[in-house]
Amino acid sequence: MAKEKTFRVGADIGGTFTDIVLIGDDGSIATKKVPSTPTDYGVAIAAGLAELLKETDVDPAAIEGVVHGTTVVTNAIIEQKGAKTALITTAGFRDVLELRRVRIPELYNFLYDKIPPLVRRQLRFEVDERMGPRGDVKTPLDVKSVEAVIERIRESDVQAVAICLLHSYANPEHEKRIDEMVRAALPSSVFVTCSADVLPEIREYERTSTTVINAYVGPVVASYMSSLLEKLTAVGVGASLRIMQSNGGVMGTDAILKKPASIVESGPAAGVIGAATSAALGGYPNIITLDMGGTTAKASMVENGAVAKTAEYEVGSGINLSSQLTKGRGHALKLPVVDVSEIGAGGGSIIQVGRNGRLQVGPQSAGAEPGPACYDGGGEEPTLTDAFVLLGYINPDYLVGGEMPLKADKSKLAMQQEVAEPLGKDLIEVAHGAFVVAGATMMRAVKAVTTYRGRDPRDFALFAFGGNGPVVAAEVADQLQIKQVIVPPNPGLFSAFGLLFSKIEHEFARTLFRRTVEADRREIGDVYGELEVQTLSAMKADGYQPREVTLVRQADLRYSGQAYELTVPVDGGPLGKTIVEDIVEAFGAEHQRTYGHRAKDDPVDLVNLRVVGWAPPRGPQNTSPAAAIASHGHALAQDKPTRMAYFGAAHGQLETSVISRKDLLGRHQHGPLIIEEYDATIVVPPGWSSTLDELGNVLMKAR
Amino acid sequence: MTEKIDPITFEVIKNALDAIADEMALVVMRSAHSAICRDSLDYSTAVCDGQGRMVAQGLMTALHMGSFPFAMRILTEQYQGKMNPGDLFITNDPYGGGGMHLPDIYITQPIFFEGRLESYATTLVHATDIGGITPGGTAVHATEIYQEGLRIPLVKFYDQGQVNDTILKVIEKNVRVPKKVLGDLRAQVAACHSANKQMCQMFEKYGVAEMRLYFDEMHDCAERVMRDEIRNLPDGSYRFTDFIDGFGEDPEPIPFRVKVTIKDDEVMVDWTGTSPQVKGAINAPGPFVYSATYLALRCMVRSDIPNAEGYMRPIKLVVPLGTIVNPSLPAAANARGITGFRVMDTVLGALSKAVPERVPAAGEGGATNPSIGGMWKGEPFVFTESMSGGWGGRPDRDGVDGLANLAANQTNQPVEFVETDNPIEIVQYGLVNDSGGPGKFRGGMAILREWRLLADEAVFTMRSDRRNHLPYGVAGGKSGTPSWNTLNPGPNQKVLPVLPQESSNLKKGDSVRHIQPGAGGYGDPLARDPQLILEDVRDEKLGIDYVKREYGVVIHQEKLNVDEAATRRLRRRMAEIKDREQDPESHVEHFVRSLKLGRRYLPGTTASPGKRSPKRTRGT
Repeated sequence: MAKEKTFRVGADIGGTFTDIVLIGDDGSIATKKVPSTPTDYGVAIAAGLAELLKETDVDPAAIEGVVHGTTVVTNAIIEQKGAKTALITTAGFRDVLELRRVRIPELYNFLYDKIPPLVRRQLRFEVDERMGPRGDVKTPLDVKSVEAVIERIRESDVQAVAICLLHSYANPEHEKRIDEMVRAALPSSVFVTCSADVLPEIREYERTSTTVINAYVGPVVASYMSSLLEKLTAVGVGASLRIMQSNGGVMGTDAILKKPASIVESGPAAGVIGAATSAALGGYPNIITLDMGGTTAKASMVENGAVAKTAEYEVGSGINLSSQLTKGRGHALKLPVVDVSEIGAGGGSIIQVGRNGRLQVGPQSAGAEPGPACYDGGGEEPTLTDAFVLLGYINPDYLVGGEMPLKADKSKLAMQQEVAEPLGKDLIEVAHGAFVVAGATMMRAVKAVTTYRGRDPRDFALFAFGGNGPVVAAEVADQLQIKQVIVPPNPGLFSAFGLLFSKIEHEFARTLFRRTVEADRREIGDVYGELEVQTLSAMKADGYQPREVTLVRQADLRYSGQAYELTVPVDGGPLGKTIVEDIVEAFGAEHQRTYGHRAKDDPVDLVNLRVVGWAPPRGPQNTSPAAAIASHGHALAQDKPTRMAYFGAAHGQLETSVISRKDLLGRHQHGPLIIEEYDATIVVPPGWSSTLDELGNVLMKAR
Repeated sequence: MTEKIDPITFEVIKNALDAIADEMALVVMRSAHSAICRDSLDYSTAVCDGQGRMVAQGLMTALHMGSFPFAMRILTEQYQGKMNPGDLFITNDPYGGGGMHLPDIYITQPIFFEGRLESYATTLVHATDIGGITPGGTAVHATEIYQEGLRIPLVKFYDQGQVNDTILKVIEKNVRVPKKVLGDLRAQVAACHSANKQMCQMFEKYGVAEMRLYFDEMHDCAERVMRDEIRNLPDGSYRFTDFIDGFGEDPEPIPFRVKVTIKDDEVMVDWTGTSPQVKGAINAPGPFVYSATYLALRCMVRSDIPNAEGYMRPIKLVVPLGTIVNPSLPAAANARGITGFRVMDTVLGALSKAVPERVPAAGEGGATNPSIGGMWKGEPFVFTESMSGGWGGRPDRDGVDGLANLAANQTNQPVEFVETDNPIEIVQYGLVNDSGGPGKFRGGMAILREWRLLADEAVFTMRSDRRNHLPYGVAGGKSGTPSWNTLNPGPNQKVLPVLPQESSNLKKGDSVRHIQPGAGGYGDPLARDPQLILEDVRDEKLGIDYVKREYGVVIHQEKLNVDEAATRRLRRRMAEIKDREQDPESHVEHFVRSLKLGRRYLPGTTASPGKRSPKRTRGT
């Protein structure tokens, strides 16, 4: 036992497993995969960590920090298990939350239903007041109407109150006054939040919805975090706890408690951050990540090392295909989120024949129960995992290192009865067909984060992880004409590592709505100044001094009349004389890049100003997640050096070598090839070659 | 599927085409300039095969979709052999160009691969202004198309990559807000270019012959599914009549008469008997009526059809020339949207007689389009928006409160943006209590929006409907509630017609309130679960007096729970009154009475549940 060593812990909760990673400041690594405990996720984390510490003989006191990624918040919203929440609005507008943007995300469905609002009408209250768009008070706040509302809120026994008034981004005074009155009148256990604090940006539905989400999850997050801290303390871990935010940065628990809505998409962000970090170290600044697990596949884009983010996000509708066209299904959450596009194609996705002989994959999933047919848990419908088994991609005796044997005959039976016979085709052909269709579905997820943003996927490498990502990666790459695939070591545990490489990050924004020709340099400077003070103070609360913090200024602009903004970087320091012109020029260039055209003479609106502050995590920095994992990668015994695998009609069944990652060291090997690991399988089809880079990544290239 | 068709390749190509059409839609959304396009999403995109037949559509405005085939047919006929790479075509002409009304501008790009015309990308955007007698281009009172604005024949907008400056300048000089209109045109061109690039990649990947084969199969597959679905409908002729209220102060109803004949796997929709074309801008040129009719039938289909126009093949229409559903020159058509909605309602009304278990009650009747224009800070301003909606009760569930009409599927504009961009204050926006049609599954509630002018003066026009002829109920459900327009709501309010024949002049501080129709109910209101009713009362959507009167449900004022015994007694008594069923609009009287009071805010908006519940509709 090495007392002088210090350690950091990453803990990532998934639907089925909780992954825990322990990294020492000398680069040593230990991991643990334990079943998640959905009734109280903290139980698995604390118990798993305690076991891991025992196994490795590490003193809990040597742990410097715990970073945590969680799906608790998303789940609370999807399952409608958040706090009983009241909403206070401007008189005449209490239905904004329920009316939403009224659009339907489908074309021809008479049976469509909206997701119910998180605050029912009986708990949405109105007060008399009115602000104008420039923050001018049109009707002063009627304090009596606030008192009456507070009285009713008191009677309705809520746990949280959201306050969102029209144009409060321009002048938060009325919201602030109500906030004070509500806090003074209600017990301190009630979570109170103002839109001007959560999202001081124009668009009342999106701001109201985001504020309501903040309130709705506030008490849930508070109790989750205090219970987790308690459990960690009980196993002797008193280190600071940081949580992954949806934007890929981490924050301390105090900051999270103020803006709990910022960790809604905590789960998927970690993997993307890990991928960005390790790809950058390996010299790949432009990647598309593909994270495929049991129920969905998720894609995101990293450009010049920067993770793409979006503020046009929705939560609560299950799958989130990142596309404006399908907006309207969930609750708007307009906080920066790593732009992850999700599609219902995972290992458990069901394969079926639709009407008129169409072969369809997902979005229905066999889930963990009953699971794919080959799990032999009662599932009779074939899934993608069954297709992988039939194609010879997955070794039925070797899933999770052989701990979970699969029944190939069950896959065969299900695929034969449900798909091959109705289509009148060979078993192997339909299995491969399902594989190709799944690839086509994933291609749409990739397009949603690239071509829909004006980027060409061919300029990127595909970075694949998750249990199933490396199986399909080459197929998806082929369909998108991507020539290079990167698979990090232990792809199945990759998200937990990602947590440890995330920056500490705080972001603040404010609407400053001005036509750029009327924009005042000093006014812009003042707002940036205030935002920077806010950011630094938040970083300080997380233990970072101003000199450690990198501040980045950004501005959101649009051509006057447009409904969506583009975000551009703005120079730091004192603002130069041409600052407004520079911002406008940067906007024009970005517009050209994203949409292929710009309008030189059109008036431009400045909409929001933003400041992002970040600092690197403390701890071992000389190592990437991939390198870290490589140093401890499981070496696997091979008893079957080859097996038959099917690669489509052009190639047919081929005798395919099966190797472990370490066998690739210092070699190039051409496909067909299967690389088997403890937690994932990499398929290198004919036409692709593979090798190992110095960080332990498997590099695949199309010929 | 034929031998050569591989279901896997089919699925992959279909996916790719849908993605291209969606991407076109996103390019327009993100780069267009007008709020009606970018916030209301009043536009559409599609990809067509080499014969101009639509094979994929962006997830946009359903009511536009069925019109593309007409525009495409005219283009392929008129310019056969005269198209070149880099060409883009423009038109908005309903008489000869395949257009629907002047504000909808089509831009289409023929896509060439290896020198041959193999595909088309096409887009349609509702222009914020197209000239004509009132700002916003939807003057209901226009009597001839010549008053409605600029008519753009089908011409080349780009000739081999070179923009046609003449047409550009003509448009620029003829619209009130050229920056917005031209900005939207640029967005359309960008969308076509994006499709062009990606379609060429597909031709390269699959080869021209293969792509043509799958294009054909997409149409054939869509046709097969549609025919299967029609075969499952009971053969017979089903008639239905619905109305548009009519123009001005004392409106003459405009009838829509349809006979839907289902025979084996085909449907004939015959509009004979429908109103002659009218002296007002609501005549719907043929393509639009076809589109609305296709849409109604398409919505009946429960299975997933490829979005290829082959599904239209088993549907035949009879649209007599010179009627409101197939007008001849010079009938005005700018406000024709309302007619499309009514066409759809009428077809569905007929289908409700064939398969009531599959058809919802009537929705709010389509989007309302207010438009306010004038001068502000020395510049002209034009404000238009699209307001919708509520869905009718459905065979197995309630209608939806506040959801766009399926046909138009547009979004609302954020209040904060409207107020920032225009000299307009939105006074209120929300659901109207005690609205919508009672039923076992109730209709969606009415929505209210109120605009106040902050500039010195402006003109106001409005396109709305369904004050006299209400959204119908189905299977014993009651009709929805009427729409209502008032100038300066309050004791001295002036009630404005649904389709005013002239624009109103507004002065600073004037406000206009619009209440949309509430949607129809489905099934007998007395069969509605009292617990669902209680939830609506707790949510302050329905009042205690209202539910007692309409549903026979007695709710305890203070405890706010259902008095089961009293409810049973009351419901039994109500069931015995036979007259009840003969007056599907009894609830409307109460509603209108409350509208006439013109309260400051939505009735009951600031009401409290329980003992502080408003005593609004007391006394009857």
